[in-house]
Amino acid sequence: MENLIQSLTERVKQAASNNTPLAIHGGNSKSFYGGAIRGDALDLRAYTGIIDYEPKELVLTVRAGTPLQEIETALEAAGQMLPFEPPYYADTATIGGTVATGLSGPRRPYTGAVRDFVLGTRIINGKGEDLSFGGRVIKNVAGYDVSRLMTGAMGTLGVLLDISFKVLPKPTDEITLRFEMDEATAIQRFNEWAGKPLPISATSWHQGVAMVRLSGAAAGVKAAREKLGGEAVADAQAFWRDLRDHRAPFFEDAEPLRRLSVPSTTSPLSLDLPQWIEWGGALRWVKGAADVKVLREKIASVGGHATLFRHGDKSVGVFHPLAPVLAKIHVNLKAAFDPDNILNPGRMDNFS
Amino acid sequence: MQTNLADWIKDTPEGREADSILRKCVHCGFCLATCPTYNLLGDELDSPRGRIYLMKQMLEGEAVTEKTQLHLDRCLTCRSCESTCPSGVQYGRLVDIGRELVEKKVGRSVAEGTQRGVLKRALPRTGLFSAALALGRIMKPVLPKALAAKIPVKRTPGAWPAPRHARNMLVLQGCVQPAIDPDINAATARVLDRVGVSLIAVPSAGCCGSLPQHLGDAEAAHVLIKRNIDAWWTYIEAGAEAVVVTASGCGTMVAEYGHALRNDPVYAAKAAKISALFRDVSQVVAAEQERLSPLLRASTPPSRVAFHSPCTLQHGLKIRGVVEGLLRDAGFELTAVPDGHLCCGSAGTYSILQPELSKQLRGNKIAALTSGSPAVIASANVACMAHLESGLDGKVPVRHWIEMLDEQLAAS
Amino acid sequence: MNAGLLADFSRITPALNVITDHERLRPFETDAFISHRAVPMCAILPEDETQVAAILASCSARGVPVVTRGAGTGISGGAIPSEDGVLLVLTRMNHIGKVDHQARTATVGPGVRNLAVSDAAAAHNLFYAPDPSSQLICSIGGNVAENSGGVHCLKYGLTTHNVLQVRLVLSGGESMTLGSRALDAAGYDLMAVVTGSEGMLGLVTEVVVKLTPVPEHVETLLAAFPSVTDAANAVGRIIGAGVVPAALEMMDKMVIEACEKFMSAGFPLDAEALLLIELDGVREEVADQLVRVEQVLNDCHAQEIRRAKSDAEREKLWKARKGAFAALATIRPDYYTIDGTIPRRCLPDVLARYTQLAEEYRMLVANVFHAGDGNLHPCIFYDATVPGEMERSEELGGKMLEICVEVGGTITGEHGVGVEKLRQMCVQFREAELATFHAIKAAFDPAGILNPGKGVPSLKRCAEWGGMHVREGKMPRADIPRF
Repeated sequence: MENLIQSLTERVKQAASNNTPLAIHGGNSKSFYGGAIRGDALDLRAYTGIIDYEPKELVLTVRAGTPLQEIETALEAAGQMLPFEPPYYADTATIGGTVATGLSGPRRPYTGAVRDFVLGTRIINGKGEDLSFGGRVIKNVAGYDVSRLMTGAMGTLGVLLDISFKVLPKPTDEITLRFEMDEATAIQRFNEWAGKPLPISATSWHQGVAMVRLSGAAAGVKAAREKLGGEAVADAQAFWRDLRDHRAPFFEDAEPLRRLSVPSTTSPLSLDLPQWIEWGGALRWVKGAADVKVLREKIASVGGHATLFRHGDKSVGVFHPLAPVLAKIHVNLKAAFDPDNILNPGRMDNFS
Repeated sequence: MQTNLADWIKDTPEGREADSILRKCVHCGFCLATCPTYNLLGDELDSPRGRIYLMKQMLEGEAVTEKTQLHLDRCLTCRSCESTCPSGVQYGRLVDIGRELVEKKVGRSVAEGTQRGVLKRALPRTGLFSAALALGRIMKPVLPKALAAKIPVKRTPGAWPAPRHARNMLVLQGCVQPAIDPDINAATARVLDRVGVSLIAVPSAGCCGSLPQHLGDAEAAHVLIKRNIDAWWTYIEAGAEAVVVTASGCGTMVAEYGHALRNDPVYAAKAAKISALFRDVSQVVAAEQERLSPLLRASTPPSRVAFHSPCTLQHGLKIRGVVEGLLRDAGFELTAVPDGHLCCGSAGTYSILQPELSKQLRGNKIAALTSGSPAVIASANVACMAHLESGLDGKVPVRHWIEMLDEQLAAS
Repeated sequence: MNAGLLADFSRITPALNVITDHERLRPFETDAFISHRAVPMCAILPEDETQVAAILASCSARGVPVVTRGAGTGISGGAIPSEDGVLLVLTRMNHIGKVDHQARTATVGPGVRNLAVSDAAAAHNLFYAPDPSSQLICSIGGNVAENSGGVHCLKYGLTTHNVLQVRLVLSGGESMTLGSRALDAAGYDLMAVVTGSEGMLGLVTEVVVKLTPVPEHVETLLAAFPSVTDAANAVGRIIGAGVVPAALEMMDKMVIEACEKFMSAGFPLDAEALLLIELDGVREEVADQLVRVEQVLNDCHAQEIRRAKSDAEREKLWKARKGAFAALATIRPDYYTIDGTIPRRCLPDVLARYTQLAEEYRMLVANVFHAGDGNLHPCIFYDATVPGEMERSEELGGKMLEICVEVGGTITGEHGVGVEKLRQMCVQFREAELATFHAIKAAFDPAGILNPGKGVPSLKRCAEWGGMHVREGKMPRADIPRF
């Protein structure tokens, strides 16, 4: 593996000296996401495998090219999990892409996001330097938190090599409850419930139906179910997996799909577009044609940001534009890590 | 903290004491959280840790000016910081030493000096304060409202039972209390009489000495302390069980008589004995609770009470929850009082010398005390009581808790 | 004092509280890392973001260093002033803004005390989770700067997991909002970079924190062990049993005695090590965990297990734990607290090595630490009046931290680098990594005026120290995967 790292660093150095962009990829399961891809492919799939996993430590260290499937299987065997319930979108998904895109699944509002569980990273920066930040320990404040900065940076700041995560025991019992209620009521209930000590692990609302997943020890789940009411859903696992991976019919057509990240208490957006709400109200998927400018303004006015997630016209920008003073810091950071702008240029398209 | 005291102080008794206190401080800053002036002003220099540092500098030989003096003046000496300090720093002792040294090194302007001098000399003299107060009462209707509010309503003392029990205790009359509320000690005498203890007030004893002490004049304080010791000594030799104090502010001073005169060749032992015999009235009553309880419970249930625990009681004497327990036992319903550890702003002469801060603290305290809609506010220190009354406009009466027990007993 | 700068300040507002005299500046010369001190050129207590921005603009225009300070409770010296600089004290920016119970957020000034946030949220049955030992007084701004942890962060996370949005003023005076009240924000995760940046990237003038529902049920257990190794084993096995306690703290004999002596916590005095374990959550869940934990404790030779029977008993145990450091001051006048983190499996081994080192240095070392997340806080006792003792304690502390790096851990779990651990930064990081940190700093603070000389050592200083630690750019024991 050290030879592989050597050759990867060489590739990056060469690209830097020739000024030729690199398009970093793993399983290409999320290549639809983010700004347009350009440059020579830099495939990380050969850089694979679990480096260190000791369940008692609650810490897992893996190579970026490791398939997500392989990791989750290993964790499952020890009764543990990646607490952010990473979306796959395709079976080929790798952990590197999961961290680079920074996307989390239905459990996110209740246990945390990818960035919350990333403890350390080893990366190659745009100069071809092999660098390590953070650690394999749960608490670490030495130096700036570069590892979390890598999360969701779309590979624009460095090629991810190794990543350490904090993992958690997997709840032994799970149950999903179904409620019929309108959008406004669902948003209100989700927020009320989140303010109470209940073992909620996922929420969804779509077309007048709210779904709530409870996870934990059997007795706790049972007690919470009695408090909440609703009717139990059979085969709920498939429901949450399809939502997580956008395999539900709602997500399957070619309409532009937008990811609206808003404060959870934001009242119904009334956009007149088909919508699916999760994350207790904090994540709202809408699809169909929309005036981007108007939409962005509206979402910004409630304190959120809008992303064109899939399909549609990327020329107006995928990510929500940044305020000039913020964009300036982004430009500076990009230059600090990748002075020749060769790592995934343009994948994060809201500053330049 | 590491210290390096200057030659002029390091080998004196004060220097040694200050050094040992400073060495205990680890500069953790916990004391800031519960300091009333830090809460109001948000400035390190108005916190215990900041003042400790200012005093340390002076003791280490650096120049000291009225700037340090100002921050020491702003300290209420409530000793809330001592309750919070995890390292056992005796801030109250240190600030006494610090103030006295600053007083000597910096001095006072003529106006300030006169004001402090008057307070120091006049207040301890019961008669003078009474006369001034009496004059104020007569003039109250024609005085401006702000000033009128400062003059407390006079309460007439009830009967003081004649000594009839074998067990007897002395009570400190004090200086201000007899003028403001002479019934507190009388009520104490009546309550103790019911449980078989006679309470004796010796007329030649007076001010406990805390007023000059906290104004940085230890010498004047010592004169008063010695006078009290002389007044009490024959009774103590005759077997008085305790020296009871009904104002917790005075109590903290009497508890420290032994320390104050520890280097006095004549009075050291006597002073130590007085401190050993000192009891806050709550401690005396709590010790007799078994006999008292049945007498109290005989009457109808009384009203809702908010108890204001004086700093001198909870931080100075570290008596916490005792009065509350006695009131509950007597059937009173205690309302919740947020931030109960904070000072009301009375703090001896503070309300006169630092009127602005004092008023803010009083406002906050009254808001906290009345938040549970009590029918009565009870306290354990006459100065706090007068101070709170002056801000309440008669909306809620303020009583010494012993008077409330006394009324319960009378009704039963 | 720089006259031009003073004139600038007086133009901001006449009411600006600027301290320039030595007498009043000295109390600001150190935080809670008292072995290091520096009297600043001046100290300012601004009241709002506008004042902060104007002060920074003047300072950057004139190239004057700025150090920010909250309550001054840091123990790595992060708030120690620059002698030629301005100290910005943010304790007056202590306004608690909106507590939004529906959204479970609170908007607070940087000078607000950590515990005051929980107090303000208590009426809604919510609390602010990070709880450093100094939570009574440490400020939220300082918590953000240090990415503070606390005893409950095994389950509830560090500051970085509990802060949603901040207002940040850059050294040039430009203000911006980072993060969001939503669950993520557009662009890079700058919140992650700023949290724990020790005041070197910008000044935080407002913080939106996440509030957590107060757990329905809490159980606190105290388990006494005949040896440190038994206690350490129990820690790993509790977590191995699928239980993530809200807190899992360990104390060794010396700490037990100090807490007992000073705070009468009711700790068993015949034990070599104590574990303080807190389980919280849904009542039934906690009951289930309690059974599993008690089983593990018995299996690991616990000689005594006590369960707090009331909130008062629980508070008493925690009060003793949180006051432990200060209580230790009753053993010897001065102490130095170390803050390394190690993989938990190395606990018995590392603690044994610490004991050995302490013997070599002939110094008293007590251990009180967050065992659940492997965050060690060995406490070295010394007497500052004895020449050379302080230096020896620092040297010993440095060696202890280097052991942490060697076993794959880090030199600071939650106290920050400040001035204290600059030297060990050269052990943990290689030149190119340190250069990256400097580049990040320059991306935010091109003028380089914010908290200079803290957090990240200059490459030159590392080279000067380097002979001891870094050989040909390689780490000692390079075979151990380190990041």
